[in-house]
Amino acid sequence: MDFVNLASQLNAGTIVPEGIVIITFLGVLIVDLILGRSSSRWIGYLAVAGLLSSLVALYFQWDNSNPISFIGAFNGDDLSIVFRGIIALSAAITILMSIRYVEQSGTALAEFVAILLTATLGAMFLSGASELVMIFISLETLSISSYLLTGYTKRDPRSNEAALKYLLIGASSTAVFLYGVSLLYGLSGGQTELSAIATGIETANLGQSLGIVISLVFVIAGIGFKISAAPFHQWTPDVYEGAPTPVIAFLSVGSKAAGFALAIRILTTVFPLVADEWRFVFTALAVLSMILGNVVALAQTSMKRMLAYSSIAQAGFVMIGLIAGTEAGYSSMIFYLLVYLFMNLCGFTCVILFSLRTGTDQITEYSGLYQKDPLLTLGLSLSLLSLGGIPPLAGFFGKIYLFWAGWQAGLYGLVLLGLVTSVVSIYYYIRVVKMMVVKEPQEMSDVVKNYPPISWNLPGLRPLQIGLVTTLIATSIAGILSNPLFTLANNSVANTRILQESMAPSPQVSVVTSKLP
Amino acid sequence: MISALIWIPIWGAAIIALLPAKIPSNRIRLGAALVAGITFAWNILILFQFDINNPNIQLQEYLPWNETLGLSYKLGVDGLSILMLLLNSLLTWIAIYSSSKETRRPRLFYSLVLLVSGGVAGAFAAQNLLLFFLFYELELIPFYLLISIWGGEKRNYAGIKFLIYTAVSGALILASFLGLVWLSGSSSFDYDAISTQTLSATLQLILLAGIVLGFGIKIPLIPLHTWLPDAYVEANTPIAILLGGVLAKLGTYGLLRFGLGLFPEAWSTLAPTLAIWGAISAMYGAVTAIAQKDIKRMVAYSSIGHMGYILLAAAASTPLALVGAVAQMFSHGIILGILFHLVGVVEAKVGTRELDKLNGLMSPVRGLPVISALLVLGGMASAGIPGMTGFVAEFIAFQGSFPVFPIQTILCVVATGLTAVYFVILLNRTCFGKLDNDLAYYPKVFWHEKMPAFILAGVIIFLGIQPTYLVRWSEPTTTQMVANIPAIQKTVIPRIAMNQSTFNSEQ
Repeated sequence: MDFVNLASQLNAGTIVPEGIVIITFLGVLIVDLILGRSSSRWIGYLAVAGLLSSLVALYFQWDNSNPISFIGAFNGDDLSIVFRGIIALSAAITILMSIRYVEQSGTALAEFVAILLTATLGAMFLSGASELVMIFISLETLSISSYLLTGYTKRDPRSNEAALKYLLIGASSTAVFLYGVSLLYGLSGGQTELSAIATGIETANLGQSLGIVISLVFVIAGIGFKISAAPFHQWTPDVYEGAPTPVIAFLSVGSKAAGFALAIRILTTVFPLVADEWRFVFTALAVLSMILGNVVALAQTSMKRMLAYSSIAQAGFVMIGLIAGTEAGYSSMIFYLLVYLFMNLCGFTCVILFSLRTGTDQITEYSGLYQKDPLLTLGLSLSLLSLGGIPPLAGFFGKIYLFWAGWQAGLYGLVLLGLVTSVVSIYYYIRVVKMMVVKEPQEMSDVVKNYPPISWNLPGLRPLQIGLVTTLIATSIAGILSNPLFTLANNSVANTRILQESMAPSPQVSVVTSKLP
Repeated sequence: MISALIWIPIWGAAIIALLPAKIPSNRIRLGAALVAGITFAWNILILFQFDINNPNIQLQEYLPWNETLGLSYKLGVDGLSILMLLLNSLLTWIAIYSSSKETRRPRLFYSLVLLVSGGVAGAFAAQNLLLFFLFYELELIPFYLLISIWGGEKRNYAGIKFLIYTAVSGALILASFLGLVWLSGSSSFDYDAISTQTLSATLQLILLAGIVLGFGIKIPLIPLHTWLPDAYVEANTPIAILLGGVLAKLGTYGLLRFGLGLFPEAWSTLAPTLAIWGAISAMYGAVTAIAQKDIKRMVAYSSIGHMGYILLAAAASTPLALVGAVAQMFSHGIILGILFHLVGVVEAKVGTRELDKLNGLMSPVRGLPVISALLVLGGMASAGIPGMTGFVAEFIAFQGSFPVFPIQTILCVVATGLTAVYFVILLNRTCFGKLDNDLAYYPKVFWHEKMPAFILAGVIIFLGIQPTYLVRWSEPTTTQMVANIPAIQKTVIPRIAMNQSTFNSEQ
């Protein structure tokens, strides 16, 4: 194999965005080594700049005519680009909100940023990975960095406990996933590339054999852990409560997006023959997640725990699009993840800001906040209402699209359940809004009574404010001006070969109506 | 044209929300009243532009918005919505005007009121199902905040109850809309692109049931009404006016527009049930109102009863009955507006709403004679006394419904009789009798506090004497809507005729 041929097969240009992240990561570490603690003043900005330039690089990758790279190990198609973009953006905003938080907890910022960038790297590679070993390595890169980040504030016993719990559950779910993957390797006769596995299974005529079903279930267990679908959700509330808040902001958006990217890629490529089975399993997961996430969130008293259960429920909503398995289904997933990025990060930014100023995250402590901090009240109210699906915010359009796609695919029961549980979710989101907006001055909590004067001058608060305002604006207008995002989501699905191949031709309207009574 | 009705209030709301905090409450109130007044004037202008003889959607506006969802910004008015838009802008102005000068947190209050007003106008004017739903859901949070920040003692409970009920209503409506559009194979959610002709009868009935239940919560019909007494009673006066006068109309309007308009065939199947339902609602509202000891609660239950007539008329769906339904929607709006306004004044001046404590307000010097007189007028209008708009609307509705559903109509007529009963109780206990000499030192009622009531009373009497101005708007549209409906007479009248013939043969 001559060099030119090898270079074209490697096609290393597809991972330029990840390359930029790696360089940023190394830069952060080296700068920290040389300058020490004093570097923390601008190391966050360096990382954000790196992530943003990685986003620019992703933009130039769009509609790459030759997406397969590294001899089939990585697929830089439009689907992966959208997911990598979501992950990089979530990491950038996470860094903006973590500068002050990490400073205040008395730990080093550079290490934190470095680990976060590693997690970003793992998640970005996971979005495009199309080979079993590559999937496993990037999944573990993401997971191990997540464990480290969870236990980062190591003087806090809750953070330690969360890290241990997360590590135990995560390691076992990875083992289960690895077992499923090794079964796939064996069943396909020694293939590791996803499309080769699919053909291997087909030629071996293993169609819907027991082995395939077992490996499917094992793989789903691994994915379900990442997207925190019930019943693989148990780590979520504890980790969200214990871990540093910026970390869970990343876990709830970036890590979840990576999980969904993996789910789409592996399920549509490897398991098209057992599509009915995995749809069924995911239907069960979606039903459980929506019910459990929304109902248990009603009873939470801590903001972070409530957001944990809400994120379980949101994963349930997103799964409707995955189960639909149509073009509109996948696009609605992507669109929802995009707006979820804005509203969830906006919500977490406000939670961080509140806990930075008061040191608590109990929901009752938010009472009467509108008088002391109107911007925080506005941001948290709008992001929570958007999560609840109130028009004209972004979440409303996201949910409508998900439900519309689900309805078009005939998932009537799931959509109805989604509607009912959205009503339930409005209750617990509005509870926080009630605390902040409705409560009278005399009902103000002690913490809010002693609220410090608002100043953005402390180091690290300005980026927090920038992140808050950006995500707040995006949450409020990304719904009304949603056409570019819709086009992005639709195009990414339409231009992705693996999805187009896997998709069943969408049912004709006349067929549907004639089938009905 | 129509867009201005939505965007003037919404921009006004945005500007008011951003005003500096130092401006006193009363200034903000006047500013909001100015915005509402401009909207109302614009609405009158639209009334002149409206071609009465054209039954179709007029003054259309169209902007493509989101093709993936089939959502477009498509507005228009016809005979069904023009009066509702007018009612909305009139009552918004009245509500803002009748709000207290010392409202707490005025910027939030008035911007929410204006936001709600713009949203309701949008819902009435929307010609796209998703756009309607968007505006419909837009009321949810502002009204929740308006009830639970500025309400009475049990405002938290009432606010949450309102929120949950309305959210469920929204979910039902959205499910029905999605189902309707997908199953009928329409290309988008535009109202005129949808036809239910291809759907089977069972499917039409299921979807229509979803719509009826969804809007039935908002109207409200028993047994879906339990949020109403709490929300109306706990809300303060301007909010109660908007809730009862405007928001309830959104329910009946939705029922007519989307239930009757989109499912003409299933509607005729469901009509007998709906007529019975309407009659039961009317009776229930009247009977429970008699038992109330709180005047606001009484008016709230009277509202349930009056909405029952609309359901009956809509079920009968003869041309006359539909004209009556639209007229009843409008006159109920203004009558409820005047009643809630007066009750608010009484509560503010006397300090109680209890029937057992109020007495002798008619007393010319130390009582509240003008307010009492207007209350008598409002009660009479509500009970259906000729010469006022309530009578006209109810009479048309009953005359239109009687040939189709005689028994149900008679039940509703009995309910109007009971309406007179509880309003007489109310007036007897509050206006007549003697003042308590120890307590009766009521503050003076200022001229500007009475003004909204005078305006509404003027409208009530004018429309009662000149009812053409009430009915001429909706006649062509409703006639055209009825033309699409398979005659209910065929399904109901022959049965009655048959019963009579069996009676005859038995004799």
